Amino acid sequence: MGRILALGILGTLACAQVVAAHTFAEDRFGVQANGSITGTITTSAKGTAPFRVTIDQTVCGNELPDEAIVVDAQGHLANAVVILTGVKRSAAGETVLMNEKCRFAPRVQVTRPNANVRTTSKDPVLHTTQALHESGRTVFNVALPMPGLNISKPIGAAGTVRLNCNTHPWMRGWVIVTDDAAAISGADGKFTLDNIPPGTYELRVWHESLKGAPQKITVVAGKPTEISFQLK
Amino acid sequence: MWGAWCARCHAQDGTGKIDEPTVSVQPMDFTDCKLTSAEPDADWERAIAKGGPGVGLSPLMPGFEDSLTAEQIAGFVAHMRGFCKESGWPSGNTNFPRPIVTEKAFPENEFLILPSVSHEREWELAGVYERRLGKRSMVEFEVPVQHGGVDEIAIAFKHAVHASGFNIVSLGLETAFFRDTTVFEPFISAGSMLRDWYLQGQFKVELPADRAKADRAIVYNAYVGRDTSLAPTTWTLGVELNGENHELALTPQVRKGITGTGALAASIGVMLPLNEREEQGVRWVGYLLWEFLEPLRARK
Repeated sequence: MGRILALGILGTLACAQVVAAHTFAEDRFGVQANGSITGTITTSAKGTAPFRVTIDQTVCGNELPDEAIVVDAQGHLANAVVILTGVKRSAAGETVLMNEKCRFAPRVQVTRPNANVRTTSKDPVLHTTQALHESGRTVFNVALPMPGLNISKPIGAAGTVRLNCNTHPWMRGWVIVTDDAAAISGADGKFTLDNIPPGTYELRVWHESLKGAPQKITVVAGKPTEISFQLK
Repeated sequence: MWGAWCARCHAQDGTGKIDEPTVSVQPMDFTDCKLTSAEPDADWERAIAKGGPGVGLSPLMPGFEDSLTAEQIAGFVAHMRGFCKESGWPSGNTNFPRPIVTEKAFPENEFLILPSVSHEREWELAGVYERRLGKRSMVEFEVPVQHGGVDEIAIAFKHAVHASGFNIVSLGLETAFFRDTTVFEPFISAGSMLRDWYLQGQFKVELPADRAKADRAIVYNAYVGRDTSLAPTTWTLGVELNGENHELALTPQVRKGITGTGALAASIGVMLPLNEREEQGVRWVGYLLWEFLEPLRARK
């Protein structure tokens, strides 16, 4: 009896979910389905050679990759951020600023204005995570003297936030703070922006050391719109 | 943990001088007793807890409040106090906020402008320069300007005869040179802290060289006040009891650190007569203060 009741409840919940999703789509976007944007980011710039580590080698290793430009042999560029102006996104998952092997991992992230970000470390060495807003204002600078600490702080206003470590000057991370829809290119240079209402938008691209012009893009319902960026 | 953490920027010996600095600012030299001894422990604890911006200094100094307990932070401050190897410097824990009238006991390096305006629009503006001498002494030059011009100049010397914990006592002599006489003003100043309350007092005798030109007087001032926060920019609320012979006045006042380090500060109060009201009148009093050897500016 209990099992039948449980199945019945599950079934009711499943129906409720379908109804809710349908209602949401109709209320917000009418009967029309959303589209998506997929693309690839490339560059002719070359990545730079790894550099020798001169402090804390027992934790950091003797050599670390220079990740200012992460590009494969075909010119596919990772860690570029595409930002679709005018399409707002609600809060996504938690953003974690991880200090690992004397690198910020991941190096580039996207979060919403005033979101709480969690800073932590896996390294048994003093790291500091200084979040420096593009305005020049330090949003926070927290010390991580031992691994396993979790420190949550608000990331502040929209803009580009650079992450520095005051004890390991090569460490660099970036948080793009925006409530617009945004995606980060992977190791293959590809990115996807899902669930975009049909319409014409401007798509910007950001990279820490390369530049590319914004492009107009028209999203149509029910199928992906392809776009590519070449950064210099 | 000094070696593993702090020494990365502040050096093992606390000088802040390291071969391969990883920060772009030169940290304060903790072995320089002249600079460090004047700082209260509470400011250093705040700098460690909140990072540089908590005390108006560089954001390159991170905050440790999420990773260390208050006891651990106090332990670091105790270690840092050991970098000054010279004894005899009065502790910055006795460097209390200056009241408007009461002479503070701690020797200072300051410029001050002290305006005073009565309800009858009579005003006075005093310029004061204070400079520390040696570990415990201070010399002071004061020029009060009134609407009638300059009537006197004063030179004062004081010496901290006792400073331990949160208690300080200084003895001093102020000499005021008037056109027609000189007045010698020996005084004792004392300060203490009781819980979060600052208690400061001064007792002074004014002895004119020529008693036909000026009267002897007994001057006594007492101050009680407290900060509203631990930041150098805090508001400090206080009240003074100011007495000269049988005339008594009460001076409620408020002080505020203007810059992040508190090196620039201002105070304003109103002196309300408790007796002899006709004689004394109500006066607006205050000061603008610049602590010119504050550590950040004094850094090489």
